[in-house]
Amino acid sequence: MSAVRTSSSRVGASGPTRGSGGPPRARKVRLGEPGTAWLFLTPAIVLLAGMLLYPIIYTVWVSFSDFDLSTFQPGDWIGLKNYEAVIHDPGFLQSLKVTGIYLVIALPVQLILGFAIAFLLNVEWRGRGVLRALFLIPMVVAPVVAGGVWRMLLDPLWGVVNYALGLVGIGPIEWIGDPTLAMVSLILIDSWRWTPFIVLVASAGIMALPSDVYEAARSDGASRWQTLRHVTLPLLVPVIAAAFVVRWLGAVKMFDIALAATKGGPGQATDVVNLYIYEKGFRGLEFGSASSMATIVLIITMIITFFLFRLSRYLENRW
Amino acid sequence: MRRYLRLAAAAAVFSLTVTACGSSGGDDAPAADGGGLGTAQNPVSIRVLANDAFAKQWQDQLVPEFNKKYPNIKVTVDGVPYNDQLAKSMLELTSPTATYDIVLGDDPWMPQLAKTGGLVDLKTDLTKFADANYDWDDINSAALAAGEWDGHQYGVPVRSNLLLMFYNRSLYKKAKVDEPTTATTWDQYFKDAAKLVQDTDGDGKTDAWAVGTYFTKDPLTPTIWQTALNSNGGKLLDENLKVQFDNETGVKALQTQVDMLKYAPPGAATYQFNEPLEAFRQGKVATMFMWGSVYKGTAIDTTTTTLKEDEVGITTLPAGSTGPGAHRGIWTAGVAKKSTHQAAAWTFLQWTTSKEGEQWVGANLGTFPARNSTLNGTPPAPWLKPVYTAISAGYDAIAKGEMWRPRLPESDAVQQILALQTSRAISGQATAQEAVHQAATDISALLKSKGYQQ
Repeated sequence: MSAVRTSSSRVGASGPTRGSGGPPRARKVRLGEPGTAWLFLTPAIVLLAGMLLYPIIYTVWVSFSDFDLSTFQPGDWIGLKNYEAVIHDPGFLQSLKVTGIYLVIALPVQLILGFAIAFLLNVEWRGRGVLRALFLIPMVVAPVVAGGVWRMLLDPLWGVVNYALGLVGIGPIEWIGDPTLAMVSLILIDSWRWTPFIVLVASAGIMALPSDVYEAARSDGASRWQTLRHVTLPLLVPVIAAAFVVRWLGAVKMFDIALAATKGGPGQATDVVNLYIYEKGFRGLEFGSASSMATIVLIITMIITFFLFRLSRYLENRW
Repeated sequence: MRRYLRLAAAAAVFSLTVTACGSSGGDDAPAADGGGLGTAQNPVSIRVLANDAFAKQWQDQLVPEFNKKYPNIKVTVDGVPYNDQLAKSMLELTSPTATYDIVLGDDPWMPQLAKTGGLVDLKTDLTKFADANYDWDDINSAALAAGEWDGHQYGVPVRSNLLLMFYNRSLYKKAKVDEPTTATTWDQYFKDAAKLVQDTDGDGKTDAWAVGTYFTKDPLTPTIWQTALNSNGGKLLDENLKVQFDNETGVKALQTQVDMLKYAPPGAATYQFNEPLEAFRQGKVATMFMWGSVYKGTAIDTTTTTLKEDEVGITTLPAGSTGPGAHRGIWTAGVAKKSTHQAAAWTFLQWTTSKEGEQWVGANLGTFPARNSTLNGTPPAPWLKPVYTAISAGYDAIAKGEMWRPRLPESDAVQQILALQTSRAISGQATAQEAVHQAATDISALLKSKGYQQ
């Protein structure tokens, strides 16, 4: 498997020699193992380059140019002008801040809730299979649908949430209309949708824990809390770290739920950066600025992801 | 050496792929006969890029009616969500070949679409395919202006719409308040609004409110206070496209919309299009500032409304110092310059916007007419009479106060800025004065960055 032949039939040593008047001997080209590997990888690389690399390169190109609406193509090269404008755009900076607030609150909430529910589901009790199945439902609901449905549920006049709260004398509460509560609602909807994912990952991790370690802990007289603190959690660190990184990569793309539920409002209260970029590009038709923002966000995301991977590896080795 | 050969081969494959992605795909020039109108044996097909809100209605009802007269022109109407439509239309008009023969655009989009150079001038470029009876002069000038840019007529109004005031006569009667007219001022409106927040069933709880309209963060939300601004003689931009609303008139106009929220149902701060419409149709709000095209579904169609025809009134928005208000929201349609079926495309548009077509469209689709002869003539259905009266008054107000969104290629970007600052004011994150000032600053900076003198 280390060579690929260019001729269909192997030419034997006893074949006609050069200059003997017979047909010319086909030359054998050996690509070697790396060459063969590259040959097989080429279709995938071309596909990836076309589907992934090309859009990224194009976005970066647009970010350095004055996008010409009359041709709908990048026009003159304008250097860092778009980046300068973006860095001085208070709306963009605010959207980065909003995204940061959302990530700092939503990710820990989802992680803690997800692992807590996974521990509960890991204990034998009647009906846990049904609950486990029900937990999958939010994951299969499209984010836009989730946003739209929750928007209706949280409506102060028609929504069931305020109706229920009204029965105990609370409300009506402006879940989406109040700037602070709008962010709470966004995190609520996002957590409703994504906590089940953490539950699944955590459940798999918990079920894979070695039982002999627990037997040893029991023999040593460890309490439940001590077992959790000194056995379970250290063993789960790689799973927690992996779940966090995967969820981070998903959460940083937050867009559709915000679009459907709050449209980034009121004001910029829930204007996550991807929504801001989308509005700038596809509604305002400011593709140069929008591409600069996208490039900046890509770089920030790559840097943070790199450090998260390093941290994840460090924690895995430490425990 | 072999290594370099391999590298070169890989690079060539990549280049070919990239080139293929961006290839022009040929350049079919429009035929001299505009592609003809087809025959029974060889019908022609045209495609229309429309909005998904009415694309299906067009395909299911309008096209079959058109085909009764022109059976050899097959029309396919594709609907695109509003948020994606402008970008898709621009991409379409700048592509090397035309997928769509007809492109529809919302009121403020025409400058952007025209700037691509992808539309023909309907009055001059398509003369040879024009119907001799097609009467341009009969189209209301305010409506026709929506399709005009830089001295050329790129679009013709196919779905005329105006922001008007709907009111629920039963709720006005219950509150013992006189019904609004074109003379009702904003001051009077707010006096009435306080009384229109009421308990209609006597259980001690408020169950009806005064107003429902756009309040959420949306480019259409500022059109309410833009109308108030215009009806008080104010403008967003002056003739030289310099920002002109960072003043007392501008602040007063935005404050008008902010104050409306006090008389709106709980949760109205998130109202976009559907929510106020539902609230009005269910008798929860006494007035609604909304696009007139919803009239049929609000007053006539019993499957979509709880209200009766005689319960629903329609008039212009309350008057400011210069007169009543309305806001233009006209969908226009243009023919693609690269279309190979310009004759069929223009024939379809001419029929749809002809006197005959407008009558049918008005009666069956509930769409407003743009022709003066239709507006002033006998309506095709009795329920249209008060509607046509309101539209006529609305067109007058629009023409007088220039009540439309900015007419420049950056129109949507301007509306985005206004939407954000309006939302900040409505949610209490900024005062009306702060929001107006920030909007003016941002719009000025935007226009300056695009080369406009500020």
